[in-house]
Amino acid sequence: MAKRSFKVSTFTPVAVADTVNFTDAGYMGLMGGSTTQRINVHEVYMGGQATASAPSLMILARDSTVQATPTALSTGNSDAALDPATAALAAVPVAFVASTTKPQRSATLGLLNLSYNAFGGIVRWLAAPGEEPSILGNTASFGEMSLSAYTGGTPGLTGAHIIYEPL
Amino acid sequence: MPSLKRCEGYLMLDNRNNPGISEDQVRAAGLPVGAGRGMFEAPTITCSHCQVVVVLNPLRNRERPYCPKCDHYICDRCGKVREANGGECKTFNQVIEEMQEAVFRAEQRNGVILPTQGD
Repeated sequence: MAKRSFKVSTFTPVAVADTVNFTDAGYMGLMGGSTTQRINVHEVYMGGQATASAPSLMILARDSTVQATPTALSTGNSDAALDPATAALAAVPVAFVASTTKPQRSATLGLLNLSYNAFGGIVRWLAAPGEEPSILGNTASFGEMSLSAYTGGTPGLTGAHIIYEPL
Repeated sequence: MPSLKRCEGYLMLDNRNNPGISEDQVRAAGLPVGAGRGMFEAPTITCSHCQVVVVLNPLRNRERPYCPKCDHYICDRCGKVREANGGECKTFNQVIEEMQEAVFRAEQRNGVILPTQGD
């Protein structure tokens, strides 16, 4: 398949504990496009846009409750193939920041802690080729991953992208 | 013999232009000491048994769990499980393949089994 980038230009992560509903527009979520689709996550990038100190305890994790009825991405947010020649996918992964049924971060399946200060801080994580964490299907707990803020900090305005590849 | 360096990802936390995050928050996050201040760069590994991403602490001097069967470093938790199970190796890729196989077989029988994991 082909790599894609899910980008959110600017958002303020809303800190929530594990297994608590996320707040719309306060996180980034990525779900498989079918019951068997596998997605590899290659890269996570965040750039802080806050105008004052904003310790942000950002977590990449699997979700133990997955979203239902996602809201379409609005202006400034996008999910697009990196290569313009990429053919349309039969099962398009679901990139979202809001939904009717809210997702919840798993308490046991956290994958990576990317804590930083959003007052001009930068975070970039890259997986080694062949070592990427995977999303499988579209049900809990392997079918959805999220980038969200954990309680304890004061998350600030952030721009972020997740580069991933549906297989 | 291939080097385990091939399994290493890369993490950069750049807090050079801000106060960073406190050492308490760094410790709570499970990041190496000093990761919350200034420029921090470190290799990461993806545990081949559970896919947790581990930030390699450059100051660690304890042995890092390694699975010779899949030739990967694994996380501390999976290292303990592996010890307790007599060296058993089940990679996350195997789990995924088994789940996909189960779903395909169920679909062929006109039923669907959805992959789940208890939480």
